[in-house]
Amino acid sequence: MLGYYLWLAAKSFRRNPGLTALMVGAIALGISTCIVTLTVYHAMSGNPIWWKNNILYAVTMDGWDPSPSDPYDPAHPQLAPPQLTYRDAQYLYQSTIPRRKVLITQLLGVLSGAPGETAPVHVMTHAVTRDFFSMFDVPFEYGGGWSASADSGPEPVIVLSKEQNDKLFGGADSVGQTILWNDHRFRIVGVLKNWRPLPRFYDMTTRRWGEPDDAYVPFQWGPALQILPGGNSSCWGDPVTTYQDYLGSECVWIEMWAELPTAQARERMQAYMDSYWAVQRKAGRFARPLNNHLTDVSDWLKVNGVVSSDSRILLRLAFAFLIVCLINTVGILLAKFLRAAPTTGLRRALGASRRQIFLQHLAEVATLSFVGAALGLALGAAGLVGVHAMYTYGGAYGVLARFDPIGILWALALAAVSTLAAGLYPAWAIGRLPPSLYLKSR
Amino acid sequence: MNIKPVVSALLRNRMGAVLVALEIAIALAVLVNAAFIVGQRIAMIDEPTGLDYHDMFAVTMAGFTKDFSLPSSVASDMAYLRSMPGVVSASPVGSIPLSGDGGNGVLYAQTGQHGNSAVYTTLQTDEQGMSTLGATLIAGRNFRPTEILPWSHAIDQAVPEIIVTQSLARALFPGRQALGQVVYDVRNRPMTIIGITRDFKGQVGAGTPPYNVALMPQLAGAFGGYYCLVRTEPGRAEAIMRRAERELAVRNTTRVIFYAHTLDYFKGQLDSENRNMAIFLVAVTALILAITCLGIFGLTTFNVSTRTKQIGTMRAVGARKRDVVSHFLLENAIIVALGVLVGCTLTLGVGYWLSRAYGMPRLDLYFLAAGVFILAAIGQLAAWQPARRAASVPPSVATRTV
Repeated sequence: MLGYYLWLAAKSFRRNPGLTALMVGAIALGISTCIVTLTVYHAMSGNPIWWKNNILYAVTMDGWDPSPSDPYDPAHPQLAPPQLTYRDAQYLYQSTIPRRKVLITQLLGVLSGAPGETAPVHVMTHAVTRDFFSMFDVPFEYGGGWSASADSGPEPVIVLSKEQNDKLFGGADSVGQTILWNDHRFRIVGVLKNWRPLPRFYDMTTRRWGEPDDAYVPFQWGPALQILPGGNSSCWGDPVTTYQDYLGSECVWIEMWAELPTAQARERMQAYMDSYWAVQRKAGRFARPLNNHLTDVSDWLKVNGVVSSDSRILLRLAFAFLIVCLINTVGILLAKFLRAAPTTGLRRALGASRRQIFLQHLAEVATLSFVGAALGLALGAAGLVGVHAMYTYGGAYGVLARFDPIGILWALALAAVSTLAAGLYPAWAIGRLPPSLYLKSR
Repeated sequence: MNIKPVVSALLRNRMGAVLVALEIAIALAVLVNAAFIVGQRIAMIDEPTGLDYHDMFAVTMAGFTKDFSLPSSVASDMAYLRSMPGVVSASPVGSIPLSGDGGNGVLYAQTGQHGNSAVYTTLQTDEQGMSTLGATLIAGRNFRPTEILPWSHAIDQAVPEIIVTQSLARALFPGRQALGQVVYDVRNRPMTIIGITRDFKGQVGAGTPPYNVALMPQLAGAFGGYYCLVRTEPGRAEAIMRRAERELAVRNTTRVIFYAHTLDYFKGQLDSENRNMAIFLVAVTALILAITCLGIFGLTTFNVSTRTKQIGTMRAVGARKRDVVSHFLLENAIIVALGVLVGCTLTLGVGYWLSRAYGMPRLDLYFLAAGVFILAAIGQLAAWQPARRAASVPPSVATRTV
């Protein structure tokens, strides 16, 4: 029976090739537009470490300038700065409440002295404490992170990205070898596999969609070498002249994350922060209202405005477009089926049940949907290449290249559900027509 | 022309008419709001920068060896850049206009964080900075070479005198002469305004008004990197930059070059989000209009072909060709009018939602008027060809059986 229905459908398509092309084209365009915007939206709103979302918390305290004319972020004056001062970070880091904890800052770094070196190269370096790698599930190709003693020393140990290791050591196991970082000799203890969380959730102050990290060194190397941060640093309060001033200042430049697996641990950590805040406030700091926060990853992405409002608007626009395309298809299908009503009436008179008429038309609709959806997927993939090129300019390269499996599943579901939904009504409506009317009318 | 037969014809395929009207309504809402947003984005892209950014480039460098000396490196780099043929002017700068690199702060018109205040971008530079930026003084004077504070280890060094843009001057001293006034930074250190320039865009950090820039006579570089800004003869920025990048790298090996970019590049980056949004909106709007047109065309064609016999009858009982055309156009006009009516409500709703949820300006009603006109026009145009075809049905068709 199905074969017969499909044969009928093909005949019907051939009768109005222009209309058929219009319907297939409309479905395809609608679906491809949705795929493109959904992928962009998905890539931008994706949580790069979703599996640890309710365990990892960004630690923030609000010790910013109480003057209302000097907010940290003029657009959101109620928010605490996303980074901590050195003093506060040092204190909070002593806490044993979190299972793991990490301090992070960006340092200017130059690598040289490797066998594959052509010229000294500026590398994106994050100075971190040892838990960074285990907290964020950073995958290692060779070696691993460093010990607690390397943190406190600090010892001259360095972890390289796969890309830098490929460039400087030809991809060989370079663990144990040494390299110059900012003209100081560092021992390589680990080489990462490809790892590129997007956005770079653990430090979103600069270039969150930009180039990945090339190197990691122990956090204390910044103070040890008196290197000021290479990323964001925001100050208020007393003038800062020397590096020692800087460490004791109200300048914020350190990200802190804590791994707090239970609600109880979170409460204790919050209490720990709040009591520190109270003591410091008595000593004359923290003049702004109590605003200490532990923020999980997805909220952190939201607070930092990761998903642009443009991509939200475009997503809705794409759905409006898909709806127009589907309405278009429904209208044409309805008209088309109505025109063939005399034939349908004849079929009913000869004993075809309503169900059979419905199925016959559904077969036609399904064929149309299938072709439209397939074409839409292809168009969507092509559109993504175009969008990728558009966004590359904005420094967000690589973000939108992913036509990921979940995205494809979404697109397929979207295509199937939307086109079938569009076709159901005409197929149903045509089955309900009284056969007699159409038999005698012409 | 009698409207009654048109309406009764319409009512026979109610669902089809409702669907087309709905399509038109959505198309109108999308068209008007998209056009409104695109207009804003183009205005943002076209906003004057006040800079000859086509003929400027920036090089960012940083020392990394123990024997690196910032003052001598900057001096030799400047000497080299200024000696290059085709270079009009070059200066060390503390922030790069149009880029995201640089610093900002708050200035107050009175001591102790009182009086008017303004968020501004800091642009540390030397006495040639004004010429490198192509900035025009409208009052006061430029820095003198002796006033440029040499680089020191002080992380945050106060300067006694600054040059500000018109916008910054106006924000601090509205309706008053700003020249010669003393302003205070967040640490209450006084600075005298010695010059006022025409507006140009400084570093474009989040939340900083782009035209609020203060030039400060000092060498910046405590945070490791230092920036050089270069203005070239027209059309030569890219070529000179490539050469400078190669040469600078070998001339001094105590530092590395992070990047060299033209200001065109930064302008492109700055505009990319607006440009992408505009491209996408225009593309989808065009597609929606095209699909709507094709939908109207397809449905009218279909109506015409299913009603061949009725048309023949109309013609046989005396309707002229013109009457048949107007019958179908009127039928279409009713649908379009219905769609546009619903569409207006939808458009205003979407506009209201956009302004509420995303802080966009309220929809300009001229856009709505234009959108209604455009949709009505193309709606009728799409139905015109099939209506003409209907008119060519000969009266004799009525006498035959289909």
